[in-house]
Amino acid sequence: MTAQDLDQMQAYKTELNDLALKSGALVLGVADAAAFTAAQEGQRPEDLLPGVKTVIVVGGAQPRAGDWRSPTYRHMETTSTSDRVTAIGNRIAQHIERRFGYYAVTIPPGVDRARKPFLNVALAAELAGCGSPSLAGPVLHPEHGFMYYAATLTTLPLPFDGPLDKPACPAPECVSMWNEHATTPCMATCPIDDGGCLGGTLVDERIGERRYDVARCTTRVQTHFIPGFQKALGAVFDEPDKEKRKMILWGTAFTRTLWSMSYSNVSQGQCFECMRVCPVGSKHRELR
Amino acid sequence: MSTAAVARASNTLPDPPPGTPQEWAEDIRKTALASGVDVCGIADVHRWDEFVPEGYRPYDILPGAKSVVVVGVRGPSAGAWQSADHRLIEMNGYDFSNDRVIHVVADYIEKKYGWQALQAPGLPVGGHQPTFSMMLAAVLSGLGTRSFAANIILNPKYGLLYYSACLTTLELPPDPMLEQDVCPAPMCVQVYKHGGKTPCQAACPADEGGCLSGTIDDKGRIESTFYDRERCVSRAMNFGINSFQKALEQIANEDDGEKRTMMINSDFFTRSCSSIAFYKESVAQCFECMRVCPIGRAERKLK
Amino acid sequence: MGFYFVDPELYKQYKDRVLELSQAIQINYPEHLPPERRKPGFSDRQIAEKLGIEEKAVREIRCVAEREYYPVDEWERALEFKDKACRDFAVGGVASVTKKYIKRQKDKAG
Repeated sequence: MTAQDLDQMQAYKTELNDLALKSGALVLGVADAAAFTAAQEGQRPEDLLPGVKTVIVVGGAQPRAGDWRSPTYRHMETTSTSDRVTAIGNRIAQHIERRFGYYAVTIPPGVDRARKPFLNVALAAELAGCGSPSLAGPVLHPEHGFMYYAATLTTLPLPFDGPLDKPACPAPECVSMWNEHATTPCMATCPIDDGGCLGGTLVDERIGERRYDVARCTTRVQTHFIPGFQKALGAVFDEPDKEKRKMILWGTAFTRTLWSMSYSNVSQGQCFECMRVCPVGSKHRELR
Repeated sequence: MSTAAVARASNTLPDPPPGTPQEWAEDIRKTALASGVDVCGIADVHRWDEFVPEGYRPYDILPGAKSVVVVGVRGPSAGAWQSADHRLIEMNGYDFSNDRVIHVVADYIEKKYGWQALQAPGLPVGGHQPTFSMMLAAVLSGLGTRSFAANIILNPKYGLLYYSACLTTLELPPDPMLEQDVCPAPMCVQVYKHGGKTPCQAACPADEGGCLSGTIDDKGRIESTFYDRERCVSRAMNFGINSFQKALEQIANEDDGEKRTMMINSDFFTRSCSSIAFYKESVAQCFECMRVCPIGRAERKLK
Repeated sequence: MGFYFVDPELYKQYKDRVLELSQAIQINYPEHLPPERRKPGFSDRQIAEKLGIEEKAVREIRCVAEREYYPVDEWERALEFKDKACRDFAVGGVASVTKKYIKRQKDKAG
């Protein structure tokens, strides 16, 4: 690429960044499409878009300060969404295609066969410098903490951002807690050795080991989503007593799963307890 | 005196805005295009008389309707068309901007012009049947013509588009319907001549377990078409309400509890549930006839 | 009574005719074709009048018949069809579908 081309690409990147922020994103980062070596075969950018050069990640649409304050966990079960940030991703894809004339496609937030995502968006966020992996699981931005991400693949050869030099997790507060109590706020809230999902160690102020019970986390994050629906349906068919079947079909759990499935765009994440206690980005939750 | 004139006489309606119906039509069209659609056309309601039975015409849905404003948008991005993984384009869906913009148009007509307007209902309400055909609306408003490929309406510039319609009591000058059929394209006529099938028919041949067939006459026009919609449903709605119902029947009929558990938790049933939940991603799940269609391909050729 | 569903015997009796008269298989839809050649299918009300049964019965028969038309195997087959078609196109473009027919015609011509 000539110096002129590089200047042009930088100008495009600035334009996309402005578009993303104007559309409501908090951050935009660009990852090298060839950097997804940690991804499984079939889930790399080049498996999805021939000639792909970069992966643009936008982050935002966090729960609000007021959302975190609510003592009713059911509130955030029914208001969390990645819809807004996916819409920004789609806008970026359209802008790239119609304004710059390069191919672009935004990764759908749903899952592909066997419940695998098309692309590991968390990995994309990390490689684009939009955050770093946390012990609790979500990618955390050093300033904003937990947020939702969307990834757009494109043949547009933008300059990359690359991963962060300093990870957001563990935060200094978590290091102090670890040194004193051999646990961190997220592990203390949901300890894997006591019926929860999270475990691990900190070594030299970095994540040493991480233990994560995916199956248990699914029961919490998607309590009333497709997995819950399938469980309830199994119970209905296994129940020989008609009256008991009615109780299951018309009961709260099954009804709730149907609400979650039909209003899926606001009921995707149904457990925030590890993030509720996370200090990264928490200063933005201190409002009047 | 017309109803509107009576209403105006009794001061219940705003005065019609200045300008001619031609200018109003242009204004509405500009508003639609500026709101994010690719095309906009207008049809007179009586064009429906020849083509649909009673109960499905614009004035059956909005009494006194005079015009239908139709908008169309492209669906998946050009990048999605490029992917060798068919599931990506299927799950990419589209952004529903045709629906969003038709609301803008309907609001605009009611607020600025003071005539009734509504978004024409497009969802199926009895099996596969919708209350109003968006595809026919696209043809009758001059936005495209029917094709061999699943009777999809092809726009001469963009090919496949998704359409929404606004019915209104505001009388607007209609756009002419297209005189020149978009399908078959000259290239397809040649392929048909040398192979007996157009590219879309070759991609999904009815005589080989697919959905499409048809003939071209000696003038290069569609002479006959055959479209197995029910097979197309198994492909275009691979995972969704249909597959959910099919699988549920099999599950309910399975006496063995362990097999039932396998079926309920299978990838097939899980994806059927997922498609119902994430329906916006899962609007159309087969593009193979459109993939080989030359119409609109130039618009999808990027860097 | 519960919710309305069609009697299985009535369904079996009229299923084929209802499907034939509806739009399950679409023949000669293009608007430019002369009216005597077009076969756009009939509404539920029109089918009911032709068959002498209730409109809501036609609707239910049509809904069930549409769903029953192909077995669930066809849905699995659809996955294989699309996977192959998409991958073949990525490699061979339009020729991936048209080549064999053109060759077949050439071979037939001698």
